[in-house]
Amino acid sequence: MKNDFRLKYPLWMMAFIVLLAIIAYSLDSPVVEYVNNSNETSMEMTIEPAKGIVLLVSLVLYFTLLAIFLLQLKKYNRQNPTQKISAISIRPPEYLEQDEGMTYITRKAVQKVYTYITWALPILATIAIILPLSKLYIIYGILAVALGQYLIFYFEIRKHVKEETE
Amino acid sequence: MLKNRVKEMRARHSLTQSDLGKQVDVTRQTIAFIEKGEFSPSITLSLKLAKALQVDVNELFWLEGDEYNEK
Repeated sequence: MKNDFRLKYPLWMMAFIVLLAIIAYSLDSPVVEYVNNSNETSMEMTIEPAKGIVLLVSLVLYFTLLAIFLLQLKKYNRQNPTQKISAISIRPPEYLEQDEGMTYITRKAVQKVYTYITWALPILATIAIILPLSKLYIIYGILAVALGQYLIFYFEIRKHVKEETE
Repeated sequence: MLKNRVKEMRARHSLTQSDLGKQVDVTRQTIAFIEKGEFSPSITLSLKLAKALQVDVNELFWLEGDEYNEK
């Protein structure tokens, strides 16, 4: 159970979110000129050299992580043909619902996440309205909320799975 | 609050949580949650557990404060 891919799924998502934040930092508003008229349609993008390196490294890391993630997913699906996870499923694959006990702990974790989202989103919206924040900081705020939701879900499920004894 | 003696009965039958879980078609974790009193099983699962442990469901589960079972 402790090695169940669904338990580790939030950790994967957190890693992707962190990398996405780094990509957002290096790719912050790269379009410096955009022309769209009857004669011409063009766009000029500029990325600082240092940010370009960060972008390149983070993109390589992102796609490497994605490849490992998809391999792990394939391995899990091969080992669990009755509980397959789809990479493009609408339903969050981290839900553990193979029986009523697991459904119970999933419900508890989801309730905590829902409570968190109920508070985090209005707070984020209020901050974005009041403070003169750049687009990048608002993106960071959204990513932080997403990171927090996976963190809460992961620790809640882990707490229950870790506590159980043979 | 629902009390139970699943752990005691399981030990009497020399079953592990995994063994009992397989018999009633749930995970080992669910058996552990029930034993700790963290989770109250459904009537169906309670009946399955009682059958697997060869006891009456009233002997396996009771409400806190039930004098007969808490002796």
